[in-house]
Amino acid sequence: MQVKRGLLPIACCAALCAASAKPCAAVATPDEATFSSLFRLFTDSGHISVRSLTGDYAVPFQGTSALSLHWNNETVTIPAIHAPAGSQEAVDAITTASRPIAGNAYQDYIKVRNEIQGDLTRGNAGVEYYVSSESDYLAQQFGANYNHDSQDQLLNVSVGTSFGYDAIQPLANDRSQAAADHKRTLHWNAIATRILSPTTMLRLGVKYNIVDGLQHNPYRNVYAGGTQVPERHPSHRERRDTFLRLNQYLPNRSSLKLNYRFYNDDWGIWSHEIGSSLDQYISHDLSASYEYRYYTQTPADFYRTEYASVDGIDGYRSGDYRLNNLASHLFGFSVHMDLNALAADHPLLGRTAIWLDYQRYFNSNNYSANILETGLDFRFQ
Amino acid sequence: MRTLLPGRRARLVLVVMGLAAIQWFGAGCAAQVYQREHLADRIMSFEAQARADARRMKALEAREGSTGGVGGAGGGCACK
Repeated sequence: MQVKRGLLPIACCAALCAASAKPCAAVATPDEATFSSLFRLFTDSGHISVRSLTGDYAVPFQGTSALSLHWNNETVTIPAIHAPAGSQEAVDAITTASRPIAGNAYQDYIKVRNEIQGDLTRGNAGVEYYVSSESDYLAQQFGANYNHDSQDQLLNVSVGTSFGYDAIQPLANDRSQAAADHKRTLHWNAIATRILSPTTMLRLGVKYNIVDGLQHNPYRNVYAGGTQVPERHPSHRERRDTFLRLNQYLPNRSSLKLNYRFYNDDWGIWSHEIGSSLDQYISHDLSASYEYRYYTQTPADFYRTEYASVDGIDGYRSGDYRLNNLASHLFGFSVHMDLNALAADHPLLGRTAIWLDYQRYFNSNNYSANILETGLDFRFQ
Repeated sequence: MRTLLPGRRARLVLVVMGLAAIQWFGAGCAAQVYQREHLADRIMSFEAQARADARRMKALEAREGSTGGVGGAGGGCACK
């Protein structure tokens, strides 16, 4: 609590400083107004599906300023309990379901989420506001960032901070009714990007988060001491990230991107992530990308597959497999096409690009997912 | 074979990454402004990569223990 009180004024001051900073160097302000739209479909082995429709609009003004807006509409479908009513399988599934159970659990549970984000940049500084709303969850976030070029624009250093406040209002649940709660997140990051050669760029970053408040699923129960009790995680978590990215342009109009991320937190989770992607131009306006990502983590200190006592470990118990040992793989493939190649003089097609992306994810918990994305980018000038 | 403790292992990783950063970031560079054409290519963009990563983080936040958590991600209780 002391830490939180001390850091909040610092975050607010940083936001105000960044918002009032004067432009002093060229930054990545868009040269022209752009619009992009995305359709995304996520389906997994648990038959959960998420359909997303997003839009992004960015417009420059007054030379070094820009405003960008982002919106997203999502529909999440969590399947019905697939077991005969009254059977032990159904009782087990309902008891440990990570969705509210009210009335009939044998039908799909559908929820809608909407999010809006606005970013205002002026010179080297930027501020942002984010809000996401759904039936049981309202998330808001304020952020600010500042970046600076040096060494003849060979080196760029940026710092950012944000404060998030999530209001959680669990829906009616037949098994247990959790009270309304909240979660606060303070975030800092520092990122340095360096041009190493005419074909090589390196980025190094650190991130630090302090999360306070409800961090477990209020609908989920855990088997502990021979009975079912509500899940309970610590209300405080400090999360630390370090990452390194290297982008290398190759002679045959392709690029190789490598990245590594190291993470740990005070719940005892340590993770490593490595990723690589190869982007290749097939023709002047058509490119393809191949991607692979590997991830591994250690379990949280209080996670057990079985708890001997209802008190769990130090009063905490979890049914969340994400806190167990985990390893995952992700393979991806995408194509990007600039329609300028088809009709350079056409007022619409000449400014439009389309892309398609497919990712296959699977992990050591016998979980797998398919992610399909298709998008359209449009330049107004 | 000696096993490093988690704390020592973390410090070792950070030290190695820090040394690499000092070496790479401090190194002299021969990329003049007129030589940066390839770096501006779409397939070399860190920003496009960051946008794709942000979308992915939203999906994986509910599947992995160390992903996400930066706040404001929405996707509340029943998605987890």
